[in-house]
Amino acid sequence: MKAIYLDYAATTPVDPEVIEAMHPYFRETFGNPSSIHSFGQQARSAVEDAREKVASSLGAKPAEIVFTCGGTESDNFAIKGIAYANRRKGNHIVTTAIEHHAVLEPCHFLEREGFEVTFLPVDSQGLVDPHDVAKAITEKTVLVSVMHANNEIGTLQPIAEIGKITRERGVCFHTDAVQTFGHIPFTVGELNVDLLSLSAHKLYGPKGVGALYVRQGTRLEPHMHGGEQEGKRRASTHNVPGIVGLAKAAELAERLMPGETERITALRNKLIRGLFDRVDRVRLNGHPERRLANNVNISIEYCEGEAMILSLDLMGIACSTGSACSSTSVEPSHVLRAIGLSVEETRGSLRFSLGRYTEDREIDQVLEVLPKIVKRLRAMSPAYRSISAGKGAGG
Amino acid sequence: MNTATMKDKVVIAISGGVDSSVAALLLKEQGHEVVGITMCLGVAAEEGGRTKCCGPREIEDARRVCQMLEIPHYTMDFSGDLEEHIVKPFVDEYARGRTPNPCVACNRHIKFGTLLDKVTAMGFDFIATGHYARLEKKAGRSILSLSKETRKDQTYFLHAIKRETLDRIRFPLAGLMKEDVRQIARKHRLPVSDKQESQDICFIPDEGYGAFLRSRSIDVKPGEFVDREGEVLGLHRGFPLYTLGQRARLGGWSGDPLYVLGIDARRNRVVVGGKADLMAPGLVADRVNLLVDDLPARAIAKIRYAHRGSACTVSLDGDLLRVVFDEPQEAITPGQYVVLYDDGVVLGGGVIREALN
Repeated sequence: MKAIYLDYAATTPVDPEVIEAMHPYFRETFGNPSSIHSFGQQARSAVEDAREKVASSLGAKPAEIVFTCGGTESDNFAIKGIAYANRRKGNHIVTTAIEHHAVLEPCHFLEREGFEVTFLPVDSQGLVDPHDVAKAITEKTVLVSVMHANNEIGTLQPIAEIGKITRERGVCFHTDAVQTFGHIPFTVGELNVDLLSLSAHKLYGPKGVGALYVRQGTRLEPHMHGGEQEGKRRASTHNVPGIVGLAKAAELAERLMPGETERITALRNKLIRGLFDRVDRVRLNGHPERRLANNVNISIEYCEGEAMILSLDLMGIACSTGSACSSTSVEPSHVLRAIGLSVEETRGSLRFSLGRYTEDREIDQVLEVLPKIVKRLRAMSPAYRSISAGKGAGG
Repeated sequence: MNTATMKDKVVIAISGGVDSSVAALLLKEQGHEVVGITMCLGVAAEEGGRTKCCGPREIEDARRVCQMLEIPHYTMDFSGDLEEHIVKPFVDEYARGRTPNPCVACNRHIKFGTLLDKVTAMGFDFIATGHYARLEKKAGRSILSLSKETRKDQTYFLHAIKRETLDRIRFPLAGLMKEDVRQIARKHRLPVSDKQESQDICFIPDEGYGAFLRSRSIDVKPGEFVDREGEVLGLHRGFPLYTLGQRARLGGWSGDPLYVLGIDARRNRVVVGGKADLMAPGLVADRVNLLVDDLPARAIAKIRYAHRGSACTVSLDGDLLRVVFDEPQEAITPGQYVVLYDDGVVLGGGVIREALN
């Protein structure tokens, strides 16, 4: 049986059309865009075409797009770039407790460099309160960074509303849109943001390429020094095939979005409903409506995520958990902790993220397999046995 | 199902070392459906320190071996279990002046405890490890016995596992010598073939026992060396740093060599005396675990891993195991395990409570 991939939030397969678009830029049009000759010029023109496409998907100007090597670089660049460019103005940054590590870690780095960072809390559904943002901003604040949608629980933040506040207060506003670009329609104008991070491999593009939108007039300290690429903001020879792939992926996503959003939302709802019907003591993490169309994050009591994910993988179903053993430590998900889950509850969490190639029968398969796994694992849990015994049959 | 081609679903607890890697390979060659699991104990060496059982390097090695063998590999977290079942009791025993053996407890509570429970719940038939030990069926019951590689035999560390779990365990290295294992690893170009084996306790940092115990709020401070009559002979560095039978070096002492005879944790005193005073005719042990129906009257007892084993008469009275040796034994250490053998079969064992006078 073909393995079922339900971890699209981690990465996506590259769309064949994207591969086709990239292909000529490995051998035929292989020039260095910085070179003067015809080879260079052709490559340069491919990069600039791609820039126009990405800009248009965002409702931005081409000059506002900086190509990077991915979401993590875009986040690092935005946060450190703004912080260092505004060092004389202030040393305060406002962000949230549920950001991706690509935002949190640069913030922690800056704390060691003498910056002060406010990590705003979120409510039990993962929402940031714009009033909290307004209250947190001081005269020293140089940057607010709030992610567009959370990668673990899928909650969509009120970015436009927060952007209105930061505009009024004259503070730079960055959003990590890695999970939303190509998945939900928006323009940078609607969101009122000054900086926005995106990554190609989350929308059926290649790994190793992304972009940072930098609103015209925003001062940003370069973090890669070397050549004069990207208006001297980001030195390094252009990843031409990657950049072309990103643009193609954005174009495809834009075209497919309306139908796909509807289709995937229906599958997601089917999965959520099905799990609630078949498994007791389940909770949905994140906001019930204001969430990504493809995100299902659940906690199953008395069942370890680690054992579930492993069993699922052996049955050919790939998903992820909020508390997996990395190489050295097992940190419970900071996102699940921030929405109020106990360490114990974070251990029982699973994230399924659906995508372009998810089929109805695959959801059926998960609904068939997962309840059996849960039942087997719970049979080993003394705590669950005593609870279900106390409640009687059918509990 | 065709029994001739029956495959078992086996988890190999793979550490990234040569033994468990070769065990995985053998299981794969036997045609079983094998999955590698590395236990993450949350005790990785600090940056720059030596690598230990579950450091990132070790996990990477284990993953690499599984990739070469084309078997799935996962890491599972047991840091909570390690703290609860191993580290905390270890520290408590030290605080009482005893010398515990955490590897025995780890096999009982974690490898063949929590991990075995989990993989059973996941639908696996067996758990396998790279231990040098043998499991055989006799009259329908699983019997734990010495491996072919007697110098590396690890049954001492395995004697405390629950008897009912033996049916679900495999030791693929039972019939191999360590050199055979290394050779198999080299022949198959496993990237771990020349790795040194670690004899250290995984959760003790490089700085040693003193630093570890201090970090766990155990007071390690100088105290008095005394003789059996209580006369003060000198100063020691702190009682947890001493183990029964160890040579005690006193500044300015010119008499016969002195050895640690006992530890008085309450008064932070280390009792020392001559080598002859280390000898005792027998011992009493508790927390007994039996791997056979009945204990025979005569057995061979090992009182520590490196002990070669001595003939003895044994009797079980409730939960108390009484062992009387044919010849007096040196340095019978409270907290260590006594393990009983009969003709290579592991009968069981217990925790040494005290030596007999």
